[in-house]
Amino acid sequence: MSAVSVAPSTPLPTATKVPFGRLVMVEWRKMTDTRAGRVMLMITGGLIALVAAIILLVTALSDMAALDATTWMSALSFPVSLLVPVLAIMIVTQEWGQRTHMVTFTLEPSRLKVVFAKLLAVFVLGVVTMAVAVGVGALGTVLGAAIAGSDPTWNVTGEALAWTLATQILYLLMGFGLAMLLLNTPAALVIYYGYTLILEASIFSALYFVFDWAQSLFPWISMQVAMMPFIAPDQMQAAGLTVEDGALGIARLFTSIALWVGLPLVLGTMRVLKSELK
Amino acid sequence: MIKVEGLTRVYGPFTAVDDVSFTAEAGKVTGFLGPNGAGKSTTMRIMVGLTNPTKGRATINGSLYADLPNPGRHVGVLLDASAQHDGRTGREVLTLAAMTMGLPKSRVDEMLELVSLTPSEAKRRIKNYSLGMKQRLGIAHALIGDPKVLILDEPANGLDPAGIRWMRGLLKEYADRGGTVLLSSHLLHEVEQIADELILIGNGRIVAEGTKDTILSGHGSAGQSLVTSLDNEALTVALKAKGYSVEPIGTGMRVSAAPAEVGKAALESNVVLTDLRDGGAGLEDIFLQLTAETQRESTTQIHAEGASA
Repeated sequence: MSAVSVAPSTPLPTATKVPFGRLVMVEWRKMTDTRAGRVMLMITGGLIALVAAIILLVTALSDMAALDATTWMSALSFPVSLLVPVLAIMIVTQEWGQRTHMVTFTLEPSRLKVVFAKLLAVFVLGVVTMAVAVGVGALGTVLGAAIAGSDPTWNVTGEALAWTLATQILYLLMGFGLAMLLLNTPAALVIYYGYTLILEASIFSALYFVFDWAQSLFPWISMQVAMMPFIAPDQMQAAGLTVEDGALGIARLFTSIALWVGLPLVLGTMRVLKSELK
Repeated sequence: MIKVEGLTRVYGPFTAVDDVSFTAEAGKVTGFLGPNGAGKSTTMRIMVGLTNPTKGRATINGSLYADLPNPGRHVGVLLDASAQHDGRTGREVLTLAAMTMGLPKSRVDEMLELVSLTPSEAKRRIKNYSLGMKQRLGIAHALIGDPKVLILDEPANGLDPAGIRWMRGLLKEYADRGGTVLLSSHLLHEVEQIADELILIGNGRIVAEGTKDTILSGHGSAGQSLVTSLDNEALTVALKAKGYSVEPIGTGMRVSAAPAEVGKAALESNVVLTDLRDGGAGLEDIFLQLTAETQRESTTQIHAEGASA
């Protein structure tokens, strides 16, 4: 059985520092080479297609006017915001859960380099999935208009596109930071969804429009509320709310981002750099 | 060469590794031996930078692990064969390692062949691997970068006897090519057969080191014989006359003299010997004795059994 020699048959390249780009490629591959990763991506793609199909079907079957490009974009970025952060969480927590971190960090002892490689891989994934969502949205705008027999409404401004993308990236970073802080998949998922789906989507938005104290407190502690003056000033005005898009609004925005993205990222990175790996 | 200098790791009130120093030389297999919880794994994790030492340092060919460029090409590490993602295939695990180290894909096939994992086994997810298969994969993972140094924690765990023999041959060949091998185990017989040098650790401290022979002679085990003869009484008188102590055990006696001395005494007094052998403590006895404090079971009984065997 030991007939095969341990020496390589062809000389291997000389050992130089592992280039950062190679680490990013490896991390990218790790996101997609397990069943969990592939299923998440397939579900994301499937949901985008499903949402688009339902909208088109409803447009065809009812006398509803074709949706404009902005509505398409926000409808299709929802599945992305729901599922892609899970991959950002798993790229970190999976290593600890399956204890592959022992392998990862012996092959690249610079933990910060590995953290950045993961972060970049996740970032690229966020941009790619958003590009798919926006692309399908554009296609839907054209198809929907053709079905309804009207001209497509191209009302997406560069600013709106930038905000949509920035929002996705922020939530992705938040998931990544929470994952490093907790190093545990279920815990990171619970906190992530607890914040995005329960706090922001239900509690904050419900209380915000009713109570004065909520209107002064929430912009500081909720990214979604803090972004409203910049993303949806018209709706705010229609609801009789003051649109704070000046220095106060920006201060609120940065505070909420620091709280939910900055803090987990910094504390999480410290935890990963300092902790004993076993 | 691996050099460990004054390595200490403290967890609160508990000292897992206590001022450990040793050198694992190139061209040799060094066995790191100790009971469960003696500090073997902690020491190995410190060597590869996964755990920070409280004091001291470990260097590999003169540099700290963290300073090695592309460390997988210098040091092959297997700390836990089960620490692989259940959902990846064996081939994928090696592919990721090859990618990180910048190796050609052909190296993956070479390694699979080396550790005798068939193409169909390599395509299976690790969830469906036996512990022995995981160990083989782990050894392939450690060797893929053609490193000069190997650090293996309990590599024989889960291997069948044929697998253990295979690994012994592999590591021997590797050391003969000038490689450094440090492997840990709690199974004495396994290490005794592979290792050129032994380091015995108990309670976080090194209790003995050297070759098997130097450890044996260094612990007063020489000069003990077990003897049985047709006339034990006459032999006892002859041996006592020479100043040796004699103690009856079963049908024979334990004598505080080397077998050659006992044979001479028997010849001189015309006693027929039916059994004569070295009654010195084996490596196992010394191991148990030296690491007694960290053993979970009381060692007195084990020791007695070992002595009368």
